[in-house]
Amino acid sequence: MNKKTGGINKYKAAQKCGLMMVLAGFIVLPGCAAIGGHSGADEPVYVGELEIDDSFENTNRAVFSFNTAVDDAVIHPVVKGYRAVVPDPAREGLRNVLRTLKSPVTFGNQVLQGDVEGATNVVMRTVINVFVGLGGVFDVAGSEGIPYEAEDFGQTLAVWGVDHGPYLVVPFLGPSSVRDYAGYAVDGFADPLRWYLFNIDEDGLYYTKVALDYLDLRESLVDVLEDLQTSSIDYYAATRSIYYQRRQALVEDRSDSAGDAPEIPNYDQ
Amino acid sequence: MKIIIQSLLMAASTFAIVSDASPSYAFSGLKDQIVPSNKAVILANANNPETAGAENFVAKMAERGINFLANPEITAEQRKLEFKKLLHESFDMKTIARFAMGRYWSQASEAQRTEYLANFEKMIIEVYSKRFGDYQGQDFKVDSARPEGENDVIVTSHIVPKNGEKITVDWRVRNKNAGYKVVDVIVEGVSMATTQRSEFASVVQRGGGDVAVLLDHLAQ
Repeated sequence: MNKKTGGINKYKAAQKCGLMMVLAGFIVLPGCAAIGGHSGADEPVYVGELEIDDSFENTNRAVFSFNTAVDDAVIHPVVKGYRAVVPDPAREGLRNVLRTLKSPVTFGNQVLQGDVEGATNVVMRTVINVFVGLGGVFDVAGSEGIPYEAEDFGQTLAVWGVDHGPYLVVPFLGPSSVRDYAGYAVDGFADPLRWYLFNIDEDGLYYTKVALDYLDLRESLVDVLEDLQTSSIDYYAATRSIYYQRRQALVEDRSDSAGDAPEIPNYDQ
Repeated sequence: MKIIIQSLLMAASTFAIVSDASPSYAFSGLKDQIVPSNKAVILANANNPETAGAENFVAKMAERGINFLANPEITAEQRKLEFKKLLHESFDMKTIARFAMGRYWSQASEAQRTEYLANFEKMIIEVYSKRFGDYQGQDFKVDSARPEGENDVIVTSHIVPKNGEKITVDWRVRNKNAGYKVVDVIVEGVSMATTQRSEFASVVQRGGGDVAVLLDHLAQ
């Protein structure tokens, strides 16, 4: 890496520290209160080979239960209503538009990760989908073999070698880690769309977009979550494991294959 | 809908959560794709003789599964029975179950192991037949394979919905004396084996390190 990249790195790292402190402020108090009753706290938690930090497990579990109750009572019914009212192609069009709107951030993160091919793909996708795909409604580029790749600053931090930090379950937003929430905050802050809309005093439009992102995300997750909820014996632990595995796959940009699968011994010998 | 991928991608950017998951979770996302297809399975054109057997094994297993899942004439009960047979024959349940229990296997008594193995298989069949019960047919395509470790092959396949993005499913296949057996299914980077192992470890740990707690949960 050259000096310039190093500079960006430092700057972002400083920014990240600030954000992490803010995030930490939210969790430290309840976290401390819960440590006393933490059963199994002295045992390390593993996801595959990766030892993860779930120091706030009791608090996280409490928030997770709260989120699950909110999902059951409000979010999933709303999402199913959305499905019933808005036909599939329209929902897909919305998703494509939201991804196009996110492309400056995706592009920036590809560049920061040194992924030239990824960055080129973002530009090509955006140009093709905006001009040929009617302003981003149709994912023409995707059907032409330039697939969408999700990138965010949490992944960029991971590429730079930053660890997850503690696992965090946040009300309404769900499971993530300190690193990935910090990355989410940086993406939101850096988003040129936000700067633009705020400058022209269209804050409402920006928040509408954020709300649509949320709706789209929840719609994409509802089947998975409902299934996982009924089929798992520890929904919290299953969710946590999947979160870490999935993030790892995203960081490594594994789209064609699963990459490293766990080593499964031959028990017969 | 479709895809877990999307879900996960979105999850990544916003809050992240979980998703798609185990093999199965991916399939749950398919339920609203009612796309009956006559040509659901595209056989691999296997070039590498080392991995060709495993690729064909996965393709045939999928074809067999899709044949009875997409058949509107059989009852839910029959479907479950077929499913049970298919899983029993194609999956190395014992290895999957042992891996899921991790280091607690050595703490379990002989009687506990027997009980665990029986209930584990029951649970898997229950969960999977429910997941696949809603599945109405999607294209399934075996794409490639690579040797992994000493006697395993990872077969990469894609589930291709009519609309939306394809889901990548990797099958870890082991060549045993009796033929090929699946030992892990990895959907979009999420391993069923790893997920179960994490989950079971958490149950035992929170139960004070007692394997019996896990057995109680599984027996329910």
